[in-house]
Amino acid sequence: MAKVTITVNGEARTVSVPPETTLLKLLREHLNLTGAKLGCDVGDCGACTVIVNGKSVNSCLMLASQVDGFDVLTIEGLATTDQLHPLQTAFEEKGSLQCGFCGPGVIMSAKALLDEEPDPSVERIRDALAGNLCRCTGYSKMIEAVQAVANSVNSHPSVKSA
Amino acid sequence: MGQQANRSGGSLKVLGKRLPNLDAVERVTGRAKYVGDIDIPGMLVGRALRSAQTHARIVSIDTSKAEALPGVKAVVTYKDAPKVALWGHRGYVLNDRVRFRGEAVAGVAAVDAETAEKALKLIAIQYEVLPFVIDPEEAMKATASKLFEDGNQEGQARILTRGDVAKGFTESDKVIERMYHCPTMWSGSLEPRCAIAQWDGDRLTLWASTQAPGRNQDNLCALFNLPDANVRVIASYVGSGFGTKSANHMDEGLTALLARKARRPVKLQYSREEEILDSNTRFETKFYAKVGVKKDMSLHSLDVRCITNLGAYHTRLGGLGNHCTHVYRIPNVRTEQYRVHTNIPNTGPTRGVGDPQECFGLESLIDEIATEMGWEPLEFRLKNIKRTGDPIARGGAGTEDGRLVTQVLDKCLEEGAARIQWSRRNATPGAGQTGPKMRGIGVAATERGGGGGQGGTTIKVFKDGSVVLFFASTDIGTGTRTTLPMIAAETMGVPVSSVRAVSGDTELAPYEGGSFGNRTLQGTGRAVEAASRECLRQILAAAGPMLNNAAPADLEMQDGVIRVKGQPDRNVALSAVMVRRGNIVATSITNQPQTGMDVERTSGAHFAEVEVDRETGKVQVLKYIAAHDLGRPMNLTIVENQLEGGTIQGLALTQGEEMRFDPRTGACLNANFLDLKPPTALDFDPRMLEAIVVENESILGPYGAKGLGENPTHPGMAAIANAIFNAAGIRLREVPFTRADILKALSEQQTTPGRTA
Repeated sequence: MAKVTITVNGEARTVSVPPETTLLKLLREHLNLTGAKLGCDVGDCGACTVIVNGKSVNSCLMLASQVDGFDVLTIEGLATTDQLHPLQTAFEEKGSLQCGFCGPGVIMSAKALLDEEPDPSVERIRDALAGNLCRCTGYSKMIEAVQAVANSVNSHPSVKSA
Repeated sequence: MGQQANRSGGSLKVLGKRLPNLDAVERVTGRAKYVGDIDIPGMLVGRALRSAQTHARIVSIDTSKAEALPGVKAVVTYKDAPKVALWGHRGYVLNDRVRFRGEAVAGVAAVDAETAEKALKLIAIQYEVLPFVIDPEEAMKATASKLFEDGNQEGQARILTRGDVAKGFTESDKVIERMYHCPTMWSGSLEPRCAIAQWDGDRLTLWASTQAPGRNQDNLCALFNLPDANVRVIASYVGSGFGTKSANHMDEGLTALLARKARRPVKLQYSREEEILDSNTRFETKFYAKVGVKKDMSLHSLDVRCITNLGAYHTRLGGLGNHCTHVYRIPNVRTEQYRVHTNIPNTGPTRGVGDPQECFGLESLIDEIATEMGWEPLEFRLKNIKRTGDPIARGGAGTEDGRLVTQVLDKCLEEGAARIQWSRRNATPGAGQTGPKMRGIGVAATERGGGGGQGGTTIKVFKDGSVVLFFASTDIGTGTRTTLPMIAAETMGVPVSSVRAVSGDTELAPYEGGSFGNRTLQGTGRAVEAASRECLRQILAAAGPMLNNAAPADLEMQDGVIRVKGQPDRNVALSAVMVRRGNIVATSITNQPQTGMDVERTSGAHFAEVEVDRETGKVQVLKYIAAHDLGRPMNLTIVENQLEGGTIQGLALTQGEEMRFDPRTGACLNANFLDLKPPTALDFDPRMLEAIVVENESILGPYGAKGLGENPTHPGMAAIANAIFNAAGIRLREVPFTRADILKALSEQQTTPGRTA
């Protein structure tokens, strides 16, 4: 068993897992964080996207022990008790998701993009979401939602996509 | 016209507006629980052993070592499987014979995934290998290896006929024959299939990622010989379906079988590879077509022979839709459809019952004959399409015994043509394009029915006036958990925020087969409207005594306030009425309304402008217009999502998603996303797509709505093929249109001067 200590959504957690455990499995089966989805388990679909030390990653492609000591943000860590993250609000209001299975991964990819680049072009947004497959939509309302958040952040410099 | 009693019309307060999905917050926060996210204490992990044989008889199967492995709680094989066929299927949950590579031959339930997977490797199977066949035409030959004792054909050929095609061809001024091929194509969901089974004595609860809780309940009752009352199927959040989840598979039955044997709950989740190989995907069609026209630009005779590759077991549908008989006025039509079993995975209806494949064949053929005659293809279509008032067959038969109503295909074609500026197209296909990039414009039309079958709902009004609406069909991303509450809110006069929908539960709501075939909004929606009216009737009756004994007919409700018509000051809040009245519960079960001779269909037309790169073979879609009839729109945001998502799914078929099978082994060569290439955000620039909602009102649907889920996926292949022809003068009759195919066609064109079709 491998002992892993990580900060998940701001909370320090220590778990003992079999060494072959992926980060996705750690989140879903050991920490009961089922927002990140198992879509392919080989890094093709992005449904399991989370943010590790500020970078979006496919959590199915990382071993739990690789994130020992790291900071992990999942979809569950975006909203506070009484307020959605601006990206979540935009995805809700624009109707960006249909079945929603890809949604947590898409939103985490978008968050990682905006953290790095607050004012991305449409091309840049498409590129950042290209690792997240969606079968229901044509991606346009997702792109619109990311743009809407980017614009609001830029018009109100005090609002950071925390 | 129609005889629908509950027709509403009038100005609408809730419907027709944009409204975010009522359950969007659950989906954007990750709180939505899909089946794979559900955990039950003591639950075991299920796994299926999948055969590496393509066609073989099981001679012996030894599970003793697997059963002896510590942590293994149940192992099942064909010996445990009830000898009851799966719904719409030729096989049992597990069979003593393998008919496609990847078929499940045993199931294991264990305390964890590692143990279950280890146990699979301990199952020893001896096979008698049989010859296999993967091509449907080969499978039709008398010498072919037989999958079933009665041969490889499923039932009789389905023949629709009107007029006399042979005579029609002799009367025609020009006749052409063509063949169009659509391969087996992956059309599955991002959510892999998953089921959880839990037994309580002889009562079974099954959580499943299915479009069809009702069909699953039916089949589980049959498999385990249980009364309907003992089987509950729950499908709350479903990660899309597109038809691949519209019937039960073997996995639901296998999960229930494992859970019964282990006496503990079991979860069986497919891997991506399993999902691709066992998902009732889009079937292969070989579409042989012959068409004859007269010099006056009229279509005169159409003869189609279509061979459908059903794969191993599936029996249901798998034929053509009704494009050949319903889109155009043609006096002589015959379609002959063969459904053939082969040793490839199961296929089925996906976003159309063969409609995209049939649309590709017919709409390419229409373009080809127009080209032969030198006719402008849009003008040719407008001259020949069926319009409101034209005769049309009721049901699927060829004889035109009904009358088409509310048809607006003409408007779809005209409005779409205006938007894409149709006159910009090349008058002579491929002519004058000397540069490396060639541009062209193409069109394709489609139609389909919708809203069929039984619809049902139960609506409960609580004592504070809040409302829950139960229905047994599913919201698979189609937004019905939003549009159906909108219908209830509109009808009752309560705020939509006070209405919540509970979907996909066979125990809480009246029976429905499920969500497929453009049916939930229209079919279940009718029931929601009727049950809402009954709730309102009871509310107004209870409010009368609180408003100086006003007669219910003099009362109305708006925003949850009941008032005397014309005297808004005399009012009482719904919550005040309900506190005195107690709960109100109303149930409605409706069938397709009787419309006499009237036949209603849902039509659409797509226009594509493409750029073909002569040097690389790349086809880029520059502009795409999807003009659709959807009756009266209920929620514009959801309409746009259906139009865009469906359209992109159709376009995806032009560039990838073909499942390739090795002719030497029968193995699927690309059962992964990387090789199937479903579109990412980079494949189609969403800014090129424009949707047009053509104004119309249905006679069948609630508040004039028509179902829309499937139609946007139909015309993509034909629209792109026709646009490529207009750009480059090359005619592609097989999807997908790979760069290699395009380069090959271009080089053949150069070596055969003058060849254009």
